[in-house]
Amino acid sequence: MPDKTVSYEELAAGHKFPPATYELNASFVSKYLRAVDSSGDGFVPPLAIAACAIATMTKLIPLPPGTIAIHASQELEFLKLVPIGTTIECHIGVAQKIARGKMSMLILELEVFDKGKEKVQSGRATIALPT
Amino acid sequence: MVKHITQEKINLYAEASGDFNPIHVDESFAAKTPFGGTIAHGMLNLAYVSEMMTSAFGRSWVSGGKLRAKFKESARPGDTLTITGKIDCIEQRSDVSYANCSFECRNQRGETIVAGEAIVRLSSGKE
Repeated sequence: MPDKTVSYEELAAGHKFPPATYELNASFVSKYLRAVDSSGDGFVPPLAIAACAIATMTKLIPLPPGTIAIHASQELEFLKLVPIGTTIECHIGVAQKIARGKMSMLILELEVFDKGKEKVQSGRATIALPT
Repeated sequence: MVKHITQEKINLYAEASGDFNPIHVDESFAAKTPFGGTIAHGMLNLAYVSEMMTSAFGRSWVSGGKLRAKFKESARPGDTLTITGKIDCIEQRSDVSYANCSFECRNQRGETIVAGEAIVRLSSGKE
């Protein structure tokens, strides 16, 4: 659900979205592995964790009506092996908002923590929004 | 590594990730956009890159890897993607070796879908 506390026009660098929690249980990992056509290695694939973070972004960004968001680039750093069954918390914030002609760009920072508050992953996504 | 994109896989990925953006899953909506049809999630294409890196580097990748990727084109249902990577150089910093890699994901027409770089920590002289 989009962050109702702010409109797209009001989004600015420094804005933090409410964190989202996911339980990376065996059912989730199995569904993810089937989707990416992979067999897995007994731990949560790092891109499955990133997928949760990106899905959080797509749900929270209050896009102008009719806008298609294009995922233009992605940076990720995997800091810790995550066992199946771990609960994670995804924190998303706006690093930059750029308007370039008919294109608007949002650069979002993501951080993912486990229940022990240890950072397991961090990254940066660039989302392009044709206006 | 070769992967085939189907609408079924895109739908499965939407269910697994929770990303139900209609550009990926709603064929009638997507047909009316400049894309002309549904496209795979960029993160699905990137998952294939990470699988290749995991095959090559194992746990060094999943707990110590870094990547930077650009989504250059969209992958569509019916596409066959070929994912390749290479080690560009091995760098020694202090006691630790790092593999600097580059990767690409291309479709059957040779168009680059995803391209980028990755760094993997290989070993420490103290280990």
